[in-house]
Amino acid sequence: MTQMNGCDDFCGCLSDYLDGEMDEKCRRIIEEHLESCDTCSTMYETLKTTVLACAQGLPAEIPEDVREGLRTYLRTHCKKECV
Amino acid sequence: MTDERETIRRVLDGDYDAFETFVEKYQARIYRHICKMVPDRQQAQDLLQETFLSAYRGLGGFTGASSFSTWLFKIATNTALMFLRKHQPECIEYDDHLENVKKSDVVPSATAFVSTPLEMLLSVEGRKKIEEAIDSLPVLYRSVLILRDVEGFSIEEVSQITETSVAAVKSRLHRARHAVREALTSYYGEKRFSGNRRVS
Repeated sequence: MTQMNGCDDFCGCLSDYLDGEMDEKCRRIIEEHLESCDTCSTMYETLKTTVLACAQGLPAEIPEDVREGLRTYLRTHCKKECV
Repeated sequence: MTDERETIRRVLDGDYDAFETFVEKYQARIYRHICKMVPDRQQAQDLLQETFLSAYRGLGGFTGASSFSTWLFKIATNTALMFLRKHQPECIEYDDHLENVKKSDVVPSATAFVSTPLEMLLSVEGRKKIEEAIDSLPVLYRSVLILRDVEGFSIEEVSQITETSVAAVKSRLHRARHAVREALTSYYGEKRFSGNRRVS
C-alpha cells in the first residue's frame, strides 16, 4: 500500500483516502501527490462531489399509503404474537 | 442507544406501542434502502413489512453487540437479498463486473461536474441523474454505496450489515463510487457542452 508507482495506484486509493481508511504515512503520500498531480486532484474532486451528491441527493421518503400499509400490517401481525 | 435499549425492554415486556416508535423512526430509511435494492414498489413495500415483522419477532435475540440501526439494516438487507436470490438470481450472480478505475478515466468534462453548484446537483433533474447512476450499479455494489454514502454507516458497520469482509466492502465501494462519478461527470460534461453549443 505504501508502494505507489503511478497515478493508477493513487486513483485506486482515493476512495479509502476519502473515508479516512488509511494510515498516516499513506495519507501523507497521497496528499503530496494530489498537490502535484492535476489529473489525480481532479479525480479526487469529482469523487468527493459524487459522494456529497449521493449523501444529499436521495432523501428518505415514504409514501403515505406505504406508511399506513406498514402500520396496519404490523398491528395485525405483531399484536397476535408475544415477542 | 440507552433510549433504544429502554424501548427494546418495553417491547419485550409486551408494549407494542414502544415498537411503533422504532417503526416511526426507521421506516423511511429502511424503505429507501429496500427500494434501492428491489426497485419494484409493491415488492419493496412487502419487503418493508417483512423486515419490521422479522425485527419484532427477533428482538429478543438482539444482543446489543451492534447498534440497533445496524441490526435493523442487516435484517432489511438479508430480506431483500433472499427475495432477489429467489426471484431474480441473475441480479446477484454476476457480481464482480465493475471495472477498476484508471487515471485515463478522468475525462476533460470533469471540471464541468465539480464546478456545478450543489443546488443544481440536488435539483429535481440532478437527483434523477444521481438515482439513475446508482440504479445502474449491480445490486451488491449499490447496497454498499447506499449503506455507506447515503445512510452514513461506517465501513465496519457496512461489513457487518452485508456480512462481507471489510476488504470486500472497500473494493465494492471504490468501484461503485467511481462508476457513479463517471456517469455524473459525463452527464454534466455533455450538459455543459450542449449548453455552449446552443449559445454559439
